[in-house]
Amino acid sequence: MQSGNLSESGTAVVPDFSHKLGGVMGNGSVLQTRGGKKDFGDIAFTWLVRVVAMLVLLTLLGIILALVWASLPTIKALGFSFLYTKEWNPPMDHYGAVIPIYGTLVTSVIALVIAVPVSFGIALFLTELAPVWIRRSLGTAIELLAAIPSIVYGMWGLLVFAPVFAKYGQPAIAATLGKVPVIGSLFSGPAMGIGLLTAGIILAIMIIPFIAAVMRDVFEITPPMLKESAYGLGCTTWEVIWGVVLPYSKVGAVGGVMLGLGRALGETMAVTFVIGNTNFLSSPSLFMPGNSITSAVANEFAEASPGLHTAALMELSLVLFVITLIVLMISKWFLARMSKMEK
Amino acid sequence: MSEFTSHIEFKNFNFFYGKYHALKDINLAIPHRKVTAFIGPSGCGKSTLLRTINRMYDLYPDQRAEGKLTLGGTNILESDIDVSMLRAKVGMVFQKPTPFPMSIYDNIAFGVRLHERLTKADMDDRVEWALRRAALWDEVKDKLGKSGMSLSGGQQQRLCIARGVAVKPEVLLLDEPTSALDPISTMRIEELVDELQKEFTIVIVTHNMQQAARISDFTAYMYLGELIEFGNTDQIFVKPSKKQTEDYITGRFG
Repeated sequence: MQSGNLSESGTAVVPDFSHKLGGVMGNGSVLQTRGGKKDFGDIAFTWLVRVVAMLVLLTLLGIILALVWASLPTIKALGFSFLYTKEWNPPMDHYGAVIPIYGTLVTSVIALVIAVPVSFGIALFLTELAPVWIRRSLGTAIELLAAIPSIVYGMWGLLVFAPVFAKYGQPAIAATLGKVPVIGSLFSGPAMGIGLLTAGIILAIMIIPFIAAVMRDVFEITPPMLKESAYGLGCTTWEVIWGVVLPYSKVGAVGGVMLGLGRALGETMAVTFVIGNTNFLSSPSLFMPGNSITSAVANEFAEASPGLHTAALMELSLVLFVITLIVLMISKWFLARMSKMEK
Repeated sequence: MSEFTSHIEFKNFNFFYGKYHALKDINLAIPHRKVTAFIGPSGCGKSTLLRTINRMYDLYPDQRAEGKLTLGGTNILESDIDVSMLRAKVGMVFQKPTPFPMSIYDNIAFGVRLHERLTKADMDDRVEWALRRAALWDEVKDKLGKSGMSLSGGQQQRLCIARGVAVKPEVLLLDEPTSALDPISTMRIEELVDELQKEFTIVIVTHNMQQAARISDFTAYMYLGELIEFGNTDQIFVKPSKKQTEDYITGRFG
């Protein structure tokens, strides 16, 4: 009696035709009336898509092997100290990845903290509150924002945003959040404009369109009748969204956040422009310039001498790859847990 | 009909989808704590009429109602009516089961929490009370923490009825509640409606003539946005006063 079930989270069941194909090919029975032509097409197509799918796996495997291979010199020479030492000094052949790793993680976290609530608001407004004509124009505008090349965000961040932020934004933050105990030290020090916080904000602006667009799409698939049921109980719009739309679309919404996080972790150009590109970091303040993994690689790779320096940069990339993998695994685990709790 | 107190009254009621005039001059009094069925061919406006009683059309900017629609004497078309309060008094169940993506317990508690603050023990009692009203308690009492979506279609629909009942409304609107269900589930819902009319005024839209005849006390026959005939169900089905009604009921048309 499952006929009335709403399919959970809208996942479509892909029909499996392989048995059919097998039947046609294997038995060669009555179905084989079109002179085997169809069979050939089916076989060819099956192999074609199989090869394409394998290519993905091969590429992934190839990248992992290449990265490990290229970073072998530093892995051998430095071992795990690469991951926990701070000093990055190519002339002395000292390589510690703490600063870029810290920069990558911190800027991505800042970006998410800002972008997730903002995107949520945009998506809600677009799906539940805005009149139809605004939905379309604003929706297109957001998609356009996602299409702007990251170098433009970087230049805008450096030339327009950073000076304004140094003059007005950072003093204001230092005067308010900077006075709060415990987290106050994160918002202290000279207002230079560029730095970890600026990089995080620019990243947030860049990933908002992605997260907002995905969230809008998943909110839209909530069945109207489900929403009407909630309204029918006397819900306000907010209660419908919080109690019904969000639980219904949480898997997709988390997917959107992960897409944004992935982009934030890997973003290079925009971050390079505004993060400050320095491998010295002595204060916990987010106003300070720092470095990210991708910025370090982009800035140093062209001038890196073969040997340990190049290997160290390759190992940095390997670390980023592993971080992305861990983020992906955590999100999968998180989603699996959420759907388990529902059962 | 005058021997019954009316609960919901439409007076010179008109309804529009944009420019389309969907309901024309409806005058109708729905009796208190009885089952009233709306029947008629597809597109006749019976669902539209039902959905005005909890002002569901408010969600859609181009839909509007004119005239007078009173619930217990109050005109609910007035703009100063609190729609959330109205909908707490008028529960609704849809064509397809619409369990919320949460546990069985929370499906019931969700609506109650909107309007009342109950202690855990009181909420437990309310959930049990509502599930018993919907004849679902015995089937789900051991798995209240499971997802409402894990139930069968018929159980889901009874869960939706329990959810509506839990808020303690005065009126229950049923919009073709059995159209997506198998015959046995349909039978259970019909028995349930018979039980529930002791406490609630029930208005049901149905495509199923036999169903209307079986479960309703009063029947309204609608055609092309107009109320053709309203009266005692027995009288409508046995001896309709209008030729049109007779044609529809006997299957010569519709």
